[in-house]
Amino acid sequence: MSLARFKEKLETDPRLRGNVTFRYTIPAAPGKYQPIPDFVPQELRALLQNRGITQLYSHQAQSLQAVHAGRDIVVVTPTASGKTLCYNLPVIQALLENEETRALYLFPTKALAQDQVAELMAWSDELGGRIKTYTYDGDTPGDARKAIRSAGSIVVTNPDMLHAGILPHHTKWIRLFENLRYVVIDELHTYRGVFGSHVANVLRRLHRICEFYGSKPQFICTSATIANPAEHGQALIGRPVTVIDDNGSPRGPREIIFYNPPVVNQPLGIRRSALLEAKTIAHELIAAKVPTIIFTRSRLNTEVLVTYLRESFHRLGDTAAKIRGYRGGYLPSQRRQIERDLREGKVLGVVSTNALELGIDIGTLEAVVLTGYPGTIASTWQQIGRAGRSSGESLAVLVANSSPINQFMVQNPDYFLEKGAEFARINPNNLYILVSHLKCAAFELPFRVGERFGDIDPEEILEYLEEEMVLRRVQDRWYWMSENYPAVDISLRSASADNFVIIDTTDGKTTVIGEVDRFSAPMLIHEGAIYIHESQPYHIDQLDWERQKAYARQVETDYFTDANLAVELKVLDVSATNKLPYATLSWGEVMVTAKTHMYKKIKFHTHENVGWGEISLPEQELHTTAYWFSVPHAIQETMDRDALQSALLGASHVLGNIASLELMCEPADLGVTAQVKSPFTGAPTVFIYDRYPGGVGFSEQLFAAHHRLMDRAYSLVSKCPCPSGCPSCVGPADEVGPQGKEYVLRLLEEVMGSGAQKQAAPISAERNA
Amino acid sequence: MELKSKLRQFLPKETPKKAPPQRTVPDLRPILGGEEVETPWGPCHVVEQDFPLDHSWGNLQLGEAASVVYPEGLARVGLDELPHFDLARTLFLDTETTGLAGGTGTYAFLVGTGRFVDGRFVVKQFLMRDYNEEVALLYCLEQELRNSQTIVSFNGKTFDIPLLRTRFAMTRMSFLGVEQHSQIDLLHLARRLWRSKLASCSLTSLEENVLGFTRSGDIPGFEIPQRYFLFLQSGNGLLLRDILEHNAYDIISMAVLMGVINARGMYTPADCTCPWEAEALGGIYAGAGRITSALAFLERALCLAQDKEQQVRLLRTAALLHKRHKHYAAAAELWHKLLSLAEDDLMAHEELAKHYEHREKDFAAADQMTRRALAIALRQRSPKVPELEHRLRRITNRRQRVG
Repeated sequence: MSLARFKEKLETDPRLRGNVTFRYTIPAAPGKYQPIPDFVPQELRALLQNRGITQLYSHQAQSLQAVHAGRDIVVVTPTASGKTLCYNLPVIQALLENEETRALYLFPTKALAQDQVAELMAWSDELGGRIKTYTYDGDTPGDARKAIRSAGSIVVTNPDMLHAGILPHHTKWIRLFENLRYVVIDELHTYRGVFGSHVANVLRRLHRICEFYGSKPQFICTSATIANPAEHGQALIGRPVTVIDDNGSPRGPREIIFYNPPVVNQPLGIRRSALLEAKTIAHELIAAKVPTIIFTRSRLNTEVLVTYLRESFHRLGDTAAKIRGYRGGYLPSQRRQIERDLREGKVLGVVSTNALELGIDIGTLEAVVLTGYPGTIASTWQQIGRAGRSSGESLAVLVANSSPINQFMVQNPDYFLEKGAEFARINPNNLYILVSHLKCAAFELPFRVGERFGDIDPEEILEYLEEEMVLRRVQDRWYWMSENYPAVDISLRSASADNFVIIDTTDGKTTVIGEVDRFSAPMLIHEGAIYIHESQPYHIDQLDWERQKAYARQVETDYFTDANLAVELKVLDVSATNKLPYATLSWGEVMVTAKTHMYKKIKFHTHENVGWGEISLPEQELHTTAYWFSVPHAIQETMDRDALQSALLGASHVLGNIASLELMCEPADLGVTAQVKSPFTGAPTVFIYDRYPGGVGFSEQLFAAHHRLMDRAYSLVSKCPCPSGCPSCVGPADEVGPQGKEYVLRLLEEVMGSGAQKQAAPISAERNA
Repeated sequence: MELKSKLRQFLPKETPKKAPPQRTVPDLRPILGGEEVETPWGPCHVVEQDFPLDHSWGNLQLGEAASVVYPEGLARVGLDELPHFDLARTLFLDTETTGLAGGTGTYAFLVGTGRFVDGRFVVKQFLMRDYNEEVALLYCLEQELRNSQTIVSFNGKTFDIPLLRTRFAMTRMSFLGVEQHSQIDLLHLARRLWRSKLASCSLTSLEENVLGFTRSGDIPGFEIPQRYFLFLQSGNGLLLRDILEHNAYDIISMAVLMGVINARGMYTPADCTCPWEAEALGGIYAGAGRITSALAFLERALCLAQDKEQQVRLLRTAALLHKRHKHYAAAAELWHKLLSLAEDDLMAHEELAKHYEHREKDFAAADQMTRRALAIALRQRSPKVPELEHRLRRITNRRQRVG
C-alpha cells in the first residue's frame, strides 16, 4: 500500500518523473523445496524444527548432498537465500559426530565474522555448548588466543589473520590443522584482483600446512552472483568445485528504477548531486512509511545523509527518531537494536555504507536507494537484495552520479540486466605476489625438491631466492635463511607493499588519513599538492620520500592542484597479437616510466590557472602488463596532429573507465596512456596498463574484450547528452578541446571499422549470449 | 622473457651477490673443539666443556651457586611453586637462533645447556652445522631434557621455550621436548630484585652490576643470525667461535646468577647492604602478604638510603602498608616523618587529614591538614581539589556540631 503511494508520487511529481530513465519489474518466484536429506541426524533435524524448518530450499539440499559426497562446492545464490545453512549444517553435523573435528571460517571483514559467530553461538546454546566457536582476529585478546588454538571447534577469522597470524605459527595450531575437516569461505566474489590473487596463494599455503598435518579439508564457499563461479572458485582454492546456483528460495516481485539527476552545468556535464537526489527519494519513501535502506559510498556521506534526512523531517514537524546511520564497526547488539526498531516501525530509514552489502542481515526492508552505482553488478545486486527478503513487493532505485561508469549504467540498463554479473579474475601467479607467498611458505615449512605450489612448479623461483640468499638448499630441501618474518611485510589488501601514508598534522594531530601507492605519490602528494580527503582539502606540507610519509594540514582553498605526469611506455615483450582489418591489438609486458616535473593550481568552478610549482621527485618505474591497440594510419588523412591528440586523450579517458567496468576494479587500478606515433607500433596507439607491478591479469582480459570495450565506449560517448565533451564521457571540453567528443567518436569508428554502430550489436552479443 | 631475468628485473636485489653457497658439511673439530655425534637422525656437532667449582666468575665462584640451599630463596623472590627441585636434575638452557621474530621459520641453530655434575659444571652445546642437522640436534637435546626436571633460562618463558616447542613440533616425531619440566625464568626474578636499581635487567647488565665483571669482545646478540648465515655460506667455522663463547658465557652466568638470587631470597634485613635490594625485598614480601618482614626490610632500606627521593618513597610505602593493616598510629608517625623530608607532599597531608578526622577525632588538626593539602592541590592544579574542598566543609560542620 505504502509502496504504491511512492510510485504514484514518482509518476505524477514532475520533478521526479523526468529523471526516471528506466523501470523494470522482476516477477515473483515461488520457492522450490526438497526434504532434509536422510543423512542429517535426528538431533540436527530437531534443531531445524525449532526454527520452523521442516524442509530445505532446493539449493540448500543440493549443497548438503554435494558436501556429503565429498565435493568442494561454491553456492551462488542471491542475498537472503539461506546460504549460511549450506555450510553450518555440514559443519555442525561433523562436530556432533566427532567433537575433535575442526572447521575454519574465512570472512572478508571482521563485522561479518562477528555476525557469524553470533549465529553459531545460538546453535551452540541449543546443543548445550558443544560447538565452541571463536573469532580469531587482531582484536582477540592475548590470553584468549591460547584457548582458541587448542579448543576452538570453529575458528572464525579473515584471510589477513590466516596469512600473518596463523599459518606462520602453525605449530601452535596443531589441533586445528590435524583435524581440519571443512574450510568455509564466504563472499568468494570479494576475493578478486590483487586481493584475490594474494588470497589464492594464502590458500596454497594452507593446503601445504594441512598436508603436513595429514588433513585434507573440504571447501564450502558462497558467493554473490558472478559470471564464472566455477572458474573463480577453482582458481582460488586450487581444486575443481561443484557450483550450486539454482536458487530455491522464494522471492516477491521487485521493481528496479534507474534515476539520472538533471544536468546543472551543461559545459562541465555536471549533474545534480546524487546524494541530494537520493535524499529526496528517500524522503518520499519514508514519508510513505516504506522501510528503506539508503546505501552511500563513504562513511562521511552516510553521516551527511542522516543529517539531511532528519532535518528534512524536522522541518515538516516530524521529529520522531526515524532515521539511523549504520556502518562498519557497529556492535552486534547495536545492530539487533536497529533491526528491532525496524520491525517495530520505530526506524523507517537506515543509511549505510557498503558495509552492509556483504551478508549482514538487517531485517525487513521494502525499498533500497543506491547513491551512485556501487562499482560492480555483483555489488549492485547484493545491495538491491537487501530489500524484499522473503515475499512481498519491493523496490530499488539507483541514483546515478556524473561519473562515466554511472552514466554508462543508466544509459545502458540492458547491460545491467542481461550481463547479470562480472567475471571475477585473479592471477595467483603474478610474480610479485607469487614470490612473496613462496617466501612465506618456505618460512612455514621447508620446500622439498619437486614439490608443487598450487598449479606451478616453484623450483626456478626457489633457486632464484637461493641465489638471493633468502633460502638455503640442503640436499633435497630449501630452508628459510633470513631473520625476517616475511608475512608482516606483505599486505593482502594494498596494491603494493610500499604505500605512502598521508598524515594529518592539523592542530598538532598525527592521524593517518589515507594511503597512496608509490607510483601515484608524485602525482597526488608532492609538496604543495592539495589532497582531497572526504571533501576536505589538505595541503601537503612535506613529503618524506625515504620514509614514505606525507604531512598534510587541513586548509580552506579555492583551488586544486593537477600534476603534469609525463609517462613513457616501452613495450618489452608481446604475449599475443590480433591483427584486425582496422586495428591491431596486443597485450604484453611493458615498462612504464613516469616523471612529474610541475603542477598547476586550478581554481574551483572556473578552472582558471592561478599558479604553478615545480616538483622534483625521482622518476618512477613500473614493470607491468598492458593491453594496447593501434589506430589505422588512415585516420591521419582526415585528422591533423592536434585533432588526433585530442581524440586520443578523450578516448583514453572513456576507455579507462569502461575498462574498469569490465574488470570490476577501481579506475585507479589502471593507467591509460596514448602515443600519437608509438615507437613500437609505428601508429597512434592507446595503452591500458595494470597499475600493479607485474600485472594481475587485467591486460589479457582486456585484450579478449577489445570489441566490447570499443562498442561500449562508443555507446557511452554517443549517448552522452553533453554538447562537446564532459567528465562523464571524454573529459571536459577545456581539456579535450571543443571538438574532442566528435574526434573521439571518429577515432572509435576507425578502430571498429566504418559502420561501427551497425556492427556493434552482434559483436557485443557474442559473450552475453 | 626468461623467468630468471624477469625476477631480476621485477625484484631489486636486497644483497649483493656473494660466493656460491657451501654444500659440504665442514669439520669443525679443529676450530671449535668438541666432536661430531652420530644419532639415529644423522650427525650434529657437540661441544662439551667442564668447569671446576672453584672457577671464578666475576666476584664469585661457580661453586657458590652449587652450595646454596635451593629452592627456598628462589621461591621467596617470586616463584609460585617449585616442586621437587633438585639441582642435579636442573638444566640451564640458552638458544642461539636465526632471528627474533619467532614463528616456524626461526631456527635454534645452537642450543647450550649446563648442569652441575659430581662437583663440576658441565656445559654442552649442540650445534647444527646446516639445516638438515636440526633433528639430530633436537635428538641430543632430548637426551639432556630426559635427565632433567627443571629448566632454568633467561627470558626463556617468552622466547627459548616456545621456540623449542615449535622446533620439536616441526619434526612431527614423538619427542617429549620441554613439556614435562618446571620452569625458572631468571629474568623475571632478576627484574623483581633489581628493576629499581638498574636501568636494564639484561644479562650483561646483571653481570656488570651484580656479578661484577664485564665481557670483552662479546658478539652483540643482533649480529648472531647474520654470522650464522655467513658460516652456512662459507663453511668457515671461525665465524662460530664467538657465538659458542657467547652462549657458554650466558649459561655459566645464569648458573651463578641463580645462586645469587636464591641467596638474596634468604637475606634477613641485616644482610642487606644495598638500599634498593632491601626496598625490592620489602616490596616482594609485602606482595606476598608478609607484612612484618616487609616492614623490616623497608626500615632497613631507609637506614641505607642516601637518596631523598627513595627515602620519601620508602616512607610512603611503609606508611600505606601500616595503614592497610590498621596500624594507624605507626602510619601517622611515618607520614609526619615524610613531611619533614618533603613538606609539600599532598598524599601525606591528605592521609594525615583523614587520620585526624576519623581516628583521632581531632578536628582542629584535621582542619589544618586539609587546608594545607588544599593549598598544595590548588598550586599543583591537582584533580583532588573538589574532594578536598568537600572534606574541608565536612570537617568545618563537624567542628561546629562538636563545638
